[in-house]
Amino acid sequence: MTKNEFMIQLSGELHKRNVLDAADIIEEYEQHFAFKLADGYSEEEIAAKLGNPVALAIQFDEPDVKKQKSGSRPFVIAGLCGVDLFAGLFFILLAAWGLVMAMVSLASATLTVCLFGGLNLYNLIPTMPYWCGAILALSFAALTVLLAVGCVYFAAFLRQLVRSFGRFQHNVLAGASGKAMLPSLTISPQLSPAGKRRLRSAALVSLALFAACFVLSYFVCSVSAGSLEFWHTWGWFGYTGLN
Amino acid sequence: MNTQYKKGVVELCVLSLLHQRDCYGYEISDVLSKHIDIADGTVYPLLRKLKADGLLTTYLQEESGGPPRKYYKLTELGRETYQNDRAEYLRFAQSVRKLLEDESDDKE
Repeated sequence: MTKNEFMIQLSGELHKRNVLDAADIIEEYEQHFAFKLADGYSEEEIAAKLGNPVALAIQFDEPDVKKQKSGSRPFVIAGLCGVDLFAGLFFILLAAWGLVMAMVSLASATLTVCLFGGLNLYNLIPTMPYWCGAILALSFAALTVLLAVGCVYFAAFLRQLVRSFGRFQHNVLAGASGKAMLPSLTISPQLSPAGKRRLRSAALVSLALFAACFVLSYFVCSVSAGSLEFWHTWGWFGYTGLN
Repeated sequence: MNTQYKKGVVELCVLSLLHQRDCYGYEISDVLSKHIDIADGTVYPLLRKLKADGLLTTYLQEESGGPPRKYYKLTELGRETYQNDRAEYLRFAQSVRKLLEDESDDKE
């Protein structure tokens, strides 16, 4: 008997007897064939050693095997729906936070371009000497990179969180219907070591640059305006502290 | 040898293998067929029955370059059952052996 004949006969007998999880059983025998074939046995030898498919199917049909805890399944599904509702809200909140971070990064990038290019759209940016603005622009460029790194990391984290939650659901359902479970997944983001190193160094460099340029721009502004509270001198908030 | 009789003993052998470590189905069938003369295919219904009885659980282990393998693992109940059955079987086998050997001594 060839592998195909064996499998067809076995699955036919299993279905005839309404054996639960027939696919699961077929899979075991498929693997058995795969291992034995790799060891150099012929399909006929393997099938002969396995025994008669009809006799095997009868052994799977024994009454005590049929008892499966399927009664709890509806309850498990109902409970899982409740958990999903709660977790879904949580995921939306997390995604919104990621979106906010991305938007701030975008705004910071726009500000950088405007300051460097000397563009002052609708007079939204307070007046200041160009060089003060340029140093400030550098700090905002660094902030853009920092936030972008944050976004990438956060996206990887969220992706892994969703995947591990999916795995958890799969396992709960598998447990309820007596099927085998898959190993649970960690929630820490899965980044390659090199990628992780690059992200970390980009974050550190941009953080240092941001802090340094921000402080430097404060000093340059103070010197240029001749006052520590230069924003009053330049009338940033609609009044001058000198009045 | 009588298949029905052998089945109970094979069950004990499966529990013994799993008592040492978690195995996937083929491993069990391979080891058993090396020691005992049974049809390779009968191990799988047996594993399924032991699982339905609550002596075993299964979990999938992802293998590199292949479909996940189904591993079998003894439950607490399986462990206790194994220890009881093992002691019982050893006592039984010892008595049978003694009986059979005494008989052959008589004949000589």
